[in-house]
Amino acid sequence: MTDNQQVPFGSGMFQGQAKFVDYAHMNQQEVQVNTLDEPVTDTLLRDINMILYKLSYVIIPRMKETQGRKLRNWDLWGPLLLSLLLAMTLGINSNQSSDTIFGTIFIIMWGGSAVITVNAKLLGGQVSFFQSVCVLGYCVFPINIAAVLITFFQSYFGFFLRIIIVGVAFLWSTFSSLSFMSSMMNEEKKVISVYPIFLFYMFLSWFCIFI
Amino acid sequence: MEIGVQKQTQEEKQVQPEQFNKLDDSGDKKSTGYCGFLTVEYYTPYFNVTETDVIQRIQATFLPFRPDFLNITKDNPDLWGPIWINATLIFLITAIANLRQIDQEKENQQFDVGYVPQATALLYIIAFGTPAILAIVMKILGVDLSFFQTICLYGYSMSTLLPITILCYFQNELFLWLIIVYGVGNSILFLIFNLKEELDKLQIQKKYIIIGIVVIMQLSLYLFYKLVFFSYVSEGKVEAKVASSDSKIPGN
Repeated sequence: MTDNQQVPFGSGMFQGQAKFVDYAHMNQQEVQVNTLDEPVTDTLLRDINMILYKLSYVIIPRMKETQGRKLRNWDLWGPLLLSLLLAMTLGINSNQSSDTIFGTIFIIMWGGSAVITVNAKLLGGQVSFFQSVCVLGYCVFPINIAAVLITFFQSYFGFFLRIIIVGVAFLWSTFSSLSFMSSMMNEEKKVISVYPIFLFYMFLSWFCIFI
Repeated sequence: MEIGVQKQTQEEKQVQPEQFNKLDDSGDKKSTGYCGFLTVEYYTPYFNVTETDVIQRIQATFLPFRPDFLNITKDNPDLWGPIWINATLIFLITAIANLRQIDQEKENQQFDVGYVPQATALLYIIAFGTPAILAIVMKILGVDLSFFQTICLYGYSMSTLLPITILCYFQNELFLWLIIVYGVGNSILFLIFNLKEELDKLQIQKKYIIIGIVVIMQLSLYLFYKLVFFSYVSEGKVEAKVASSDSKIPGN
């Protein structure tokens, strides 16, 4: 296998260079063929890149459908990391047992995503289960930021400033998840498909105000 | 995970003897009738509402003397209402119960997350268990009301609790008891007036059995509500701990 041949799969990796390939834009098939022999840092970097790439979509919500297409490659690492981070941050400062809070938030996040997805499916939307769970999980990122800010800078924030920060985070999360989910929902049942998402993020944000 | 679509009944009739030799399960929806309730497609007909329908149904629950509700939902019982009204209630209970505690103890804000699993268990068991029991009893006694219609009716009757929960923010004990009594009255009247048409076809004793079940379940729901979630918060932590320790939910 020489370099002159037109090999469709990433033949650059056989040369053993530490070249930084933009994995997030590669085809899913191109990546899967060569991943068994690569060093662990490559694997981790690829996954972290994927997560950061998707987070950039969350931070800058784009209303056009075509630009969200890269998010069709769902993964659950991002939501897992975000939910763990959120549950730990909110559990640190609580006076009572932090494992109750951890458990509650974890279950609300995953159970809530599952229930919202099943609800959207039942209302006739064209959603794939894991794509929707992935999107809902990633869009918790702004609430995560708010929780970290409030937990670690607690003494500087009065009650009203907390409400403002959490309110902004809640609106941001809802808006960015809507930009993905609304295209998949049934036209005439949009409000009742979207209301559970609103309730879900409201629930998670409410925890941030009080901790 | 597309396990069969309703449109395949024509094909099914034609390939009836070959049913067990098929490689895919696309036509097996009829033969797996006992496990049909585990698929998503089984419940899709019950989500056939838009937001105007939902709002109309919720409005109908606040006017119990006009039994419109059963007429509206007879052909189209929906499950969206019961599920999400109860979810909203769980959120409101957590929110308002914690807001009340904040006002009492400015220094020692304790966020009691224990309300979430308690509220979830209480509300969903009552919202789906009571209509199940009611439907079984009614089937035995001969009333012609389907299971899903009962769930729909009962779930929407919970929407009386929505404004009551919001009003429970205020600390005045008398006011709380007043609105609880109003809530009990409203929901019992709503349920009874809507079942009246069906119940009038029965004998007196059977009618009272059903009315009795309805009344008892509503009373216990509202009492749980008041005593577990919104007990009088005077010295903050102490009262809340006393209330949660004598709650009637087992294993807590």
